[in-house]
Amino acid sequence: MVHLEHVNCTLGVAQALKDVTLHVERGEFVFLTGPSGAGKTTLLRVLYGDLKPKTGAADVAGVDLMRLRGSQLPELRRKVAVVFQDFKVLPERSVFENIAIALEVRGVSSVSIDKRVRAVIRALDLEERSYAPCRQLSGGEQQRVAIARSMVVNPELILADEPTGNLDSDLSRHLIELFKQFNTYGTTIIMATHNREVLSWAPEARQVHLVRGQIVPPEPGAPGSVLDTKPIIGGRL
Amino acid sequence: MSTTKLFLRGVADMRRFPLPQLCTLITVCMVALLAGTGLLILHNVQTEVLRTQGQARFQIYWKVGADMTAVEAQWTDLKRAPGVAEVSTFTPRAALSELMRGLAPKTSGGGLAQSNVAANASGNASAAAGSPGAGEDFSWLEGDNPLPATALVSFNIPPAEEPEPWMGRMYARLKALDGVEQVTYNPTQLTLATGWIALVQKAALPALGFFALVVGLVVGNTLKLMMLARKDEVEILSLVGARAWFIRAPLFANGVVQGLLGSVLSLFCLKFLQSWLRSVLDVPPLFLKVEFLPLTQCVALVLCTTCVAGLASLIAARK
Repeated sequence: MVHLEHVNCTLGVAQALKDVTLHVERGEFVFLTGPSGAGKTTLLRVLYGDLKPKTGAADVAGVDLMRLRGSQLPELRRKVAVVFQDFKVLPERSVFENIAIALEVRGVSSVSIDKRVRAVIRALDLEERSYAPCRQLSGGEQQRVAIARSMVVNPELILADEPTGNLDSDLSRHLIELFKQFNTYGTTIIMATHNREVLSWAPEARQVHLVRGQIVPPEPGAPGSVLDTKPIIGGRL
Repeated sequence: MSTTKLFLRGVADMRRFPLPQLCTLITVCMVALLAGTGLLILHNVQTEVLRTQGQARFQIYWKVGADMTAVEAQWTDLKRAPGVAEVSTFTPRAALSELMRGLAPKTSGGGLAQSNVAANASGNASAAAGSPGAGEDFSWLEGDNPLPATALVSFNIPPAEEPEPWMGRMYARLKALDGVEQVTYNPTQLTLATGWIALVQKAALPALGFFALVVGLVVGNTLKLMMLARKDEVEILSLVGARAWFIRAPLFANGVVQGLLGSVLSLFCLKFLQSWLRSVLDVPPLFLKVEFLPLTQCVALVLCTTCVAGLASLIAARK
């Protein structure tokens, strides 16, 4: 699903990623961990085509990122869904409209949009707020809308950048359960987080630890780390 | 989603950003009004120049108190004279009426203009100021009208003649008429007219190009500013895999509607401006009839502004 070989990336004059090699197979659940400024967000931006690597080889869902042209970006973004810490929902539009927009851009028929959006709204327990503008929703509800927008298109890969950053512990745990459930259906998930508690809720997930733009072995004792006693599912660095 | 639906969405979305939309609309309207005013001036000057092209115009003033029977006989002769294109005549009474008509709306604040007229007439300003007739009515002047009989005569210059010597000869003939006190004409009028036409022909395209550039820059930048309000929406659409046209079409529709509404509004403003200018300038001694733009120019203004606004919105949304 994700194949990065010796990827280097700069932000201005600073080198944000240094010689990053990472392979993620279909159906894996991967945490990107590391302190603030380690390059987690930069790596995710490379994966959804927002940043072009300077050197190396990069392939995501069959799309060669090194040769990615602007006109090919929608193709990549239709395979890769992104969830952000700040939700990125349209505050003036309703829950239904926010979720439906992901299907509208794909040219799905109105009947199908209605059916699929209602199903995902039901699954994420947002039925009562279907037609409320998103600005009236709590942070947790807005994040569920963002996840629903990702889920409704059945993407091959979900990238989540600190999705629990603005949520309390209970909501964060609920959110991780949602991602895990979605992962069981075969969707690959790569989630950036620096929250150790979050890691402990999905101990089966592989951890990729970043420090100063480089992938390093996970910290000893961290849940899911290679030095942890708990098993790692699908772990391959 | 079809292009029509995207366009309709763009129009429907306009209500979601009322303040930026209103500001953009006002800007587009004002820029289009500026361009329209330029066109209006150009059109009226051109019309006037073309109307008088190849003509020489003389203003003839008879002596105050001249025998009107003799003057009217001269007017009749003038109208019959060869090469005369147009004759406008004013008896002293008609001139006074025109003066009253011209000054009436603007003299409500006091009798300065009236006092000056009265002072010229009788040499006694206090008599006018204290007169029971003071106000907007000069009828009290009728018995001692200070205005002379006048005629404005336009001649078509014979093609075989050199304009300036011909005008000089005509001036001498008119000045020699019985009872005529003064004749005025502008010998450079023809040169000016010819020069103006050449200038318009040379400058019209660059001027229109300049206006289009100004409209494009102002509208484009304003639309770009407006799009800052929709930055998040554009980002989200891009993140969920929207193609460029899906993002740009509603913004393009928005720009087109702004251009259309702004230019139509500017035409209403321009009509108001033209009516006001007409009421101000169509009075003695100017008698300038400011005409509104012809339909073709109105349509051109609307189409140009709409196209430029649509294009500017596309350029502003290209990133």
